[in-house]
Amino acid sequence: MSITRRQALASAGAAALAGGLAKPAIAAKEPILVGYLPALTGPSSSTGIGINRGTQLAVQEINAAGGIDGRMIELITRDTQSDPTKAVNGAAELTRGQKVSAVFGPLNSGESLAVVPMLARTNTPQIHPCWVDSLTDVQKYPMCFRNAPTNQQIGAAANRYVVEVLKLKKVAVISDTTGYGTASVNAYVPMLKTKGAEVVYQGNVDAANPDLKPELLRMQSAGAEAIMPWSVNAGFLSRIINTRGQMQWDVPIVGQTTLGSGQTKALLEKPEYWAKVYPNNFRPVCYAPGGKLSDRTGAFLDRLKTAKIDLSDTLLWWVGVGYDTPRMIAEAMKSVGTEPEAVVGYLNKLKKFPGVYGDISFSPEQHDGYPDDEVVMVEANSLKDGAFNLAPGYGA
Amino acid sequence: MVASIVLSGVAIGCIYALIGITYNVMFSASRVFSFTAGTLGMLGGVLGSLFISRMGLPIAVGFLLALAGGAALGVVTEIVAVRPVLKSLDQHLYVLSTLALALIVQQFTAIEWGTDARPFPRLFDLAHGVFDQQFWLPMLACLVVIVGLELLYRHTLVGHAFLAIAEDNFAARALGLPERGLRIASYALAGVIGALAGFAGGEMLLAFFGNAPMLTFYGFVPVALGGMGNNRGAVVAGLLLGLFQQAANFLVGGIFASVAVFTVFILVLLARPEGLAGAALPRRV
Repeated sequence: MSITRRQALASAGAAALAGGLAKPAIAAKEPILVGYLPALTGPSSSTGIGINRGTQLAVQEINAAGGIDGRMIELITRDTQSDPTKAVNGAAELTRGQKVSAVFGPLNSGESLAVVPMLARTNTPQIHPCWVDSLTDVQKYPMCFRNAPTNQQIGAAANRYVVEVLKLKKVAVISDTTGYGTASVNAYVPMLKTKGAEVVYQGNVDAANPDLKPELLRMQSAGAEAIMPWSVNAGFLSRIINTRGQMQWDVPIVGQTTLGSGQTKALLEKPEYWAKVYPNNFRPVCYAPGGKLSDRTGAFLDRLKTAKIDLSDTLLWWVGVGYDTPRMIAEAMKSVGTEPEAVVGYLNKLKKFPGVYGDISFSPEQHDGYPDDEVVMVEANSLKDGAFNLAPGYGA
Repeated sequence: MVASIVLSGVAIGCIYALIGITYNVMFSASRVFSFTAGTLGMLGGVLGSLFISRMGLPIAVGFLLALAGGAALGVVTEIVAVRPVLKSLDQHLYVLSTLALALIVQQFTAIEWGTDARPFPRLFDLAHGVFDQQFWLPMLACLVVIVGLELLYRHTLVGHAFLAIAEDNFAARALGLPERGLRIASYALAGVIGALAGFAGGEMLLAFFGNAPMLTFYGFVPVALGGMGNNRGAVVAGLLLGLFQQAANFLVGGIFASVAVFTVFILVLLARPEGLAGAALPRRV
């Protein structure tokens, strides 16, 4: 049988049409690729390792429950190795090579500072939990969302605790000489003064300085009623706590989350020096007076125990934010599909997403989603199962 | 307050003096200022904590292994960063090569050990007190090193050989002294002294990778003030530096204490470029 040119063209057209019609059916079964940029190795990896435990659990649960309309979530992980350059390379590969539908991370501010501007040029929705204020900007980075507090919220919570809860007015603010330390002091001191506090001491000290007694004596002679240190350096913070203990000076130390870390604890001369030390934390993952977690967090803790996820060397809020983010992405895609603009449109209207870490809300004008009043202070020496007791003075 | 200034000032001054002696021992053998001196101090603290606290070795074993680690880095410094540039000393390439090696070791420590300060073990089971072991251990280490070096240089044949190559290495080699072997031995000895500084000051400085640049800078001040290659000058200048730094910490505090230290350092060098205890070299015309 001979085939005319017209018949051949018609057959080819029918085949192409059939292929085109079949494509959505195949795509529907393809996994949804989500890029993930944790620091799993290197000096900043303790945060990434903790967050990763929650992230993996959430993805397993979402996929076990049938995924997103039958499509599984496939996490494409690129370990940033705590290195901003590797984070940028990983982000470029995820967006240009893997063509992921959304990106979670990076999980450290240093890496995010490098990645956020780069991702903004790739039309990819991004969620990160990093605190540096400039890491969200609805004009410059309209697809980037933060489901964690900003540094402003962290400082404001500590200031609120000292001035409004402890009712102390004379405050000493000290930091190391890093960019984070000096920027924190410069930002938080005016906030304290606005609240009516008197900053009787303000100083930046080299984190390697082995003897901080002169600084604490100066604070004491200035009449300080509370010390507010801003540093992520456990050595620096432990020297402040140890020196206060040696001087038998009974003032509270209120500040950065590292005050409550295991590294700081390990450097204390006596365990009792950790009393009256109040680092930042987050109310939904803290024990209320009476030692109880909220029902939502308690249920989450049970799930972690069932999944045999270890909390002895990490913090509950790290695992919590890791657990919440894939669920937030999944909920957005379940509602509006995987198109970037649709996902961003959904997130822009998100109201009180019920996370373990906190209820997250965004708007087109505000991509910082963590509520102010959930940032609280806790008792450093009360760590149990990765969570702390609320500091004295907070209601149930 | 005065007791606090004196105690911690003398203790930290002893650590600076030991790092200064580390510079000097390497300088005497090679005419090279090796900027790995502060890294050796940092490593003494980190290795002490690693062997004793983390690996649970007995204190004496951990101490000897930490010193051995310092000696090994001293030898590596000589082979990798000093020997290749000895022929062009006048171009001062050693500044780059030794700084590069110091940075490599520091970054490697940050990656493997971590960027957080970690506790250094308490060496003696004594209660914390005013004259605590964190203060007297660096003083004791400094005393032991001063006496040991005096005995070595004045009463042993090897010590005389060290002095010979320090004085004139060409003449020493012409007399049949094994210059290269003695140089390696000097670098190993410097490594031991540097590691001892970090180990003895471990409780004060903690096991922290960031101690390396701090010790490199502050350890060089006694060398410059005390006169290049002059160990006694380094000890006196180290103690003065420690005391002045602590006094500045108390009087002006914070970051201004460092400014005060380096201002005085520059003023002293402007007045006496050869250092407080150094002798001006006669210039041949």
